[in-house]
Amino acid sequence: MGIFALSKKSIAVVLSAQLVLATQAVTFAQADMLGTEAAINKYAAFDNRAALQEALNRDEVQAEMIAMGVDPAEAAARLDALTDVEVASILTQMENDSAGADIVGTLFTIFVILLVTDLLCFTRVFNFTRCVR
Amino acid sequence: MIRRLCLLLACAWLAACAAPFDPDAQLSVDVPTRAAVADVPLIQQADFFCGPASIAMVMQWAGADVSQADVAALAFNPGAEGTYLADMIGASRRLGQLAVEIDSYDQLLAEVAAGHPVIVFQNLGLGVLPVWHYGVVTSYDIAADEVRLNSGQRDQMVMPFATFTRTWARGDYWGLVVLPPDQLPASVPEAEVLRAAAALERVDQFAAAATLYQTGAARWPDNWLWPFGLGNARYAMGDLRGARSALLQARRLGPDIPEVRANLATVTAALAR
Repeated sequence: MGIFALSKKSIAVVLSAQLVLATQAVTFAQADMLGTEAAINKYAAFDNRAALQEALNRDEVQAEMIAMGVDPAEAAARLDALTDVEVASILTQMENDSAGADIVGTLFTIFVILLVTDLLCFTRVFNFTRCVR
Repeated sequence: MIRRLCLLLACAWLAACAAPFDPDAQLSVDVPTRAAVADVPLIQQADFFCGPASIAMVMQWAGADVSQADVAALAFNPGAEGTYLADMIGASRRLGQLAVEIDSYDQLLAEVAAGHPVIVFQNLGLGVLPVWHYGVVTSYDIAADEVRLNSGQRDQMVMPFATFTRTWARGDYWGLVVLPPDQLPASVPEAEVLRAAAALERVDQFAAAATLYQTGAARWPDNWLWPFGLGNARYAMGDLRGARSALLQARRLGPDIPEVRANLATVTAALAR
C-alpha cells in the first residue's frame, strides 16, 4: 500500500517535472532567433535547383551521360520533377559527401552522375530518388 | 624555385589540356579588352605560403593590416605543406571578408574589369607532376595576349592567355573573390552572396555580416532575406533596436514569412523586458 502510494506520487512528480521541462523547452525554442542560413536554404530553393541544373550542363557530366546511353534532355526533365525539399536534401548530402574537399570537383561530378542514373532507374544510390519505369 | 611554389593537395581534379584563349568562344559576357587593378601589393611568399600570401595581398589592397603569417595561422596545413581550397575560403571569412568562389573566364575577367583582384588556383606543372599554386590575377589584356599575376614573387608574373588557361584549367578554373563586406562581387549571383554573408555569422563575424547584409540590401532592395540577416546579425551583437528596425523592414518586404514574424516577436519581447 505504502509502496503503491509512493509510486503513484513519484509518477506524479516525474510527470509534472516533465511538463515543466517541456513547457520550458518550448519557451526556449521560441526565444531563439531563427537563423539566416536556414532561411536562405529554405527560401532560395530555386537557386539550388539552378545550381544542380548547371552541374548537369557541365561538359564532363554530359559526356559521361551520353557514354552511358542517357539522353541529357531526359535527365534535365527528371531533375525538374524533384520537389524543392528533395533538391535541398540533394545539396545537403552533396555537402556532407564532400566535406573538407572542393565541392566543385570529382566528387561533385560523380554525385550528379549517380543522381541522374538513379532517376533513370539505372542505379539506386539515394533514398529520396523516385525511379519511374 | 620549386620550394617557393606551393605543394597543394589535389582537391580539384585535373582537366584536359585547354585550347588557346579565344574571347568569342570563351566569353559569354561583354568585358573590356583590357583591365587592371591598381595597387595590389607584391608580397614575397614564405615557403609554401602561396595561399596565405595571396589572401594577404588582396586584403592589404583593400586596406587591411594583415600579414601572410596571420592568414597562415588560420588556413595553412603544415602536414600537407599547402593550403586547402576550403581553408582559403574559411580563413578569409574568419578575417571578416566576403569570400565567394568563381569558376569561369566570364567571372574572372568581369571581376578584374570591375576592379577586383581574383585569387586563382593553378597547377603550374603537369597533370602527372603537379605543382599546385595560388596567385592573384591583377590585370589582363586580350590584344597584348597577357595575364598578369601577383604570384608570390618580387615581380609580377606575366603569362600569355594560352599558358594561363592551361595552368588554371588544371586547377578546374577555381577562383576566389575576397572583398571587404562593403563591396560586392560583379559576377556572382545574389544567392551566393547571401550564403557568404550567412557564413560570416557562422564564424561570429557579426559586424562584417551586418555590413554585407546592408550592402546587399542596397543592391537587391526587394529581397527580405537581406534585412532579415541584418536583424539577426544585429541581435547577435546585442543591438536590439537596430535588429527590430531591420526586421520591420524585412516584414514590409515579406509580410507572410513566418521566420520574419517569429524573430520580430522575439526581438520585440526582449525590448519590452
